[in-house]
Amino acid sequence: MIITSLLQVKHRDHTGLHMRELTMSVKSLDVIVEGRRSQPQQLIEVLQDVQDLCGYIPRESMITVSKELGVPLIEVYRVASFYKAFSLVPSGKHVITVCLGTACHVRGARRMVDQVAGQLGVSPGGTTSDGLFTVECVNCLGACALGPVVVLDGVYYDKMTPRKLSRLIDSVRAADSEGRANA
Amino acid sequence: MPRLAAIEDLEHLHASLAADRERAGTSIIVCGGPGCQAAGCGAVVEALQAELRGEGLAETVHVRVTGCHGFCEQGPIMLIEPGNIFYCHLKPADVPEIVSTTLCDGEVVDRLLYTDPVSGNKVRTESEIPFYRLQDRTLLALNRQVDSSSITDYIAIGGYSALAKVLREYGPEEVIREITRSGLRGRGGGGFPTGRKWAACRAAPGDEKYLICNADEGDPGAYMDRSILEGNPHLVIEGMLIGAWAIGAEQGYIYVRNEYPLAVERARAAVARAREFGLLGDGILGSSLRFDVEVARGGGAFVCGESTALMASLEGKVGEPRAKDVHTVVEGLWNKPTTLNNVETWANIPLILRRGAKWFAEKGTKGSKGTKIFYLTGQVKNTGLVEVAMGTPLRTIVFDIGGGPSDGAAIKAVQTGGPSGGCLPVDQFDLPVDFDALAEAGSMVGSGGMVVMDERTCMVDVAKYFLTFLQDESCGKCVPCRLGIDRMLEIITDITEGRGRHEQLDLLEELADTVRETSLCALGKTAPNPVLSTLRYFREEYEAHITERRCPAGVCRALIEYVIDPDRCVGCGSCLRACPQAAITGEKKLPHTIDPSACGRCGICLSECDYGAIVLK
Amino acid sequence: MQNYVTLTIDGAPVRASRADSVLDVAIEYGICIPHLCHVPTISDLGACRLCIVEHVQNGRSKVTTSCTLRVQEDMVIRTNTDKIRKLRRNIAELLVAEAPNSRAVQDIALRCGVKQVRYPFRNKTCTLCGRCVRLCAELWGARAIGFVGRGKDRRVDFPFGVRPDFCKECNSCIDLCPMTITPCDGPMKTGEERLCGKCEGQLLMNENFPDFCVWCALGEGFGCARHA
Repeated sequence: MIITSLLQVKHRDHTGLHMRELTMSVKSLDVIVEGRRSQPQQLIEVLQDVQDLCGYIPRESMITVSKELGVPLIEVYRVASFYKAFSLVPSGKHVITVCLGTACHVRGARRMVDQVAGQLGVSPGGTTSDGLFTVECVNCLGACALGPVVVLDGVYYDKMTPRKLSRLIDSVRAADSEGRANA
Repeated sequence: MPRLAAIEDLEHLHASLAADRERAGTSIIVCGGPGCQAAGCGAVVEALQAELRGEGLAETVHVRVTGCHGFCEQGPIMLIEPGNIFYCHLKPADVPEIVSTTLCDGEVVDRLLYTDPVSGNKVRTESEIPFYRLQDRTLLALNRQVDSSSITDYIAIGGYSALAKVLREYGPEEVIREITRSGLRGRGGGGFPTGRKWAACRAAPGDEKYLICNADEGDPGAYMDRSILEGNPHLVIEGMLIGAWAIGAEQGYIYVRNEYPLAVERARAAVARAREFGLLGDGILGSSLRFDVEVARGGGAFVCGESTALMASLEGKVGEPRAKDVHTVVEGLWNKPTTLNNVETWANIPLILRRGAKWFAEKGTKGSKGTKIFYLTGQVKNTGLVEVAMGTPLRTIVFDIGGGPSDGAAIKAVQTGGPSGGCLPVDQFDLPVDFDALAEAGSMVGSGGMVVMDERTCMVDVAKYFLTFLQDESCGKCVPCRLGIDRMLEIITDITEGRGRHEQLDLLEELADTVRETSLCALGKTAPNPVLSTLRYFREEYEAHITERRCPAGVCRALIEYVIDPDRCVGCGSCLRACPQAAITGEKKLPHTIDPSACGRCGICLSECDYGAIVLK
Repeated sequence: MQNYVTLTIDGAPVRASRADSVLDVAIEYGICIPHLCHVPTISDLGACRLCIVEHVQNGRSKVTTSCTLRVQEDMVIRTNTDKIRKLRRNIAELLVAEAPNSRAVQDIALRCGVKQVRYPFRNKTCTLCGRCVRLCAELWGARAIGFVGRGKDRRVDFPFGVRPDFCKECNSCIDLCPMTITPCDGPMKTGEERLCGKCEGQLLMNENFPDFCVWCALGEGFGCARHA
């Protein structure tokens, strides 16, 4: 069953990433930082907004944030590298998140990781060479009654099996190549 | 809505809202908790509203989307009042029948009723369902009564009346005395007496004090805080307001886990509404109380559940704990006296003051009072949020409320308290669940996760799972936690991969003791619990891995092998197609074989085979 | 408020300034507690946990690091009990297994009573004691380096791994690093988990700065170069 969640679907248009990053650093970052200048305690909130906007924390944005908030650059880098919410590298076009919370684990979530890793040839945290998929594992999504849970681009798929997951990946890939053929 | 300028304004508003409620006819309550939402309750609500409009019932039937009811396994769920009719596993297509049959004709739709998995009977009303019947739902029951985005719903059921009572009748000291008398202990894991914490913070020198609500619920397999904060945010805000009055704080923070975007949204909306009503800000309800709340998002770090790490994170820094030789009630956020309580603790405060400390202290055991919400999950029939009085035996929770094993395999253990807790075997199931009894048995109440495990679970693998989690979540600052967990994991990995040696078990115990004694924060101090408790109760499983090189539950991959039974295999090829390692070969319609050297032992083939031909050796 | 307090360390009453840590006071009185991440004049982190002591309160003893513990009136501290020695030995064993190629860490391990190492050597180049990080930030105000990443990925690094302009290459971080001097018998190999043993008595990392000794003598029978 396909279920939409209220989780924000992050926009990850792979081809548009570079362009957006450039425009981002000029305009949107201003908006994000506005009203928070020289407030070091706002660092995490600011980085959250940057992450939501870009899908990762670009290096240039950290330098700007450091200057605007008055936080040493190393501290910005530390925070960005410490918290799970932040990614320092751009992710693939589609993000597959496998929940490895306790409830999902005892119901066989490990197999989902095996399935994804086997099918796509990347280990958790990695991105496929064509930039199409990023595979992530999380320690609990709080949807434990539905386990094992896999999230694809913010959409929850409950009670997953390796077979369902395999078909899901195939369908995304097919839709993508179709989209490219039409373009 | 005008600002409530005085206590009388609140009382008038409550009276008129409550009267409205009384007059209302049928109401349909749909659970909008995280589980039901993921199961598609949004579409059901849309269909329901459209159907009601179509039938001209939109004015007379009140639809309320509420926070989590707790029975997530059955989602999406619906409750029709009056009548207490309970429908589960709903789809949008079921809605027309519900409207025509139940609302118009007053009949029950049999096929949508809950089936008791133990007796096999259909159950008509919610209160008859064993899962609900055996609970003592004090906090969770409130979720059903309010639309979480509506402050008026909350006021209608008596919300903020505890605050009014406190402002009118109690001085700060009296509030603290009342909380102390209730025997409330922190619901976040430590179980520290709340009254004592408040008293210490009140007595701490300094005018500037802070309150924090810890909603950074990082335990995998637990979301009671989320369900309260999403379902009834004003309850938490009221609790904090009472705390502010007692302690003398003017600013509070709700620190919400980043993975819970809905909780952030709901909490922010609730704070904004409370400000509009004058329940946050200056001169609250015409008193001298001044208090405001800010909602902060966490960054995604389990260690930020630890108080000093959480405070560092609120200050915009890396969430690393610091030494707590001076307690946070004296030097906390920005080195000012700070009271940090968990969501469930704050949520209990208004109820205690509304109904009295005596009412609260009547429930529970000698050292642990009141009710506690647990998240029951794993290999049991009924999973979901369970609220019981402290001291309820584990057996009642697992077998009566949980309905026993999910599919035949005998239950072996229950893991309580999240990654820092421990595993308790079946012969300990008569233990009353309270802070002290569980701690004595080597586990803990923790934040309230409860994972049931059956024979198919390998306890060494469970210990390995939690150590992997903790290694991933350790901040890495201090040696025992960073290196100690790492080495414990190294030893356990050796054991699960068939390289274990007997003397390693002693080393494991010694190391676990060192990590527990010397780590900087509670994450490290409790990290060895999964290892120590499994060693204590399931040592024979460790021995089997070491001596016989065998995993009794058939889980540890290095010690098992999958083979195909040629007599059963029909050559359908589904395993061959499913195998992510391409380790299976065979002609169509002929028995297939698995190449053990290529096999990843993931077990996917086993779950794919419809003929029972894949055998675990 | 009085500026001095009296406390008991290992049975001996000592007088100390209220702002001092237990570790500072103990060292001042010649009661030696091993330590690695503690360096005088810069802030304490409590990371290495070697300086643990028992703090006795209301008849119950609590294990805590002495570097982060401020002295209080009538405090009772025990630095050298069986329990502490055992815990300290286990921590030193973890440290030396991680970084056997440091003379300082080897010394600490030997002095804490590590006889054999029960974990495979890992030959890491950093113990994450954070001396360099705090020195750079607190003494020079440069903040060119810091702890990056978390848990097992934690490391000391420049922002983005690139040396920034504001690092003046003063090298004081290197001066304080306990990893710069290798043991005489190094490099150590995985699979041959042993301690060098020849480094004893060479505890001073830098003779010009005796205070920067990684650790002074503990208990009887060691004969530290400084306190013999």
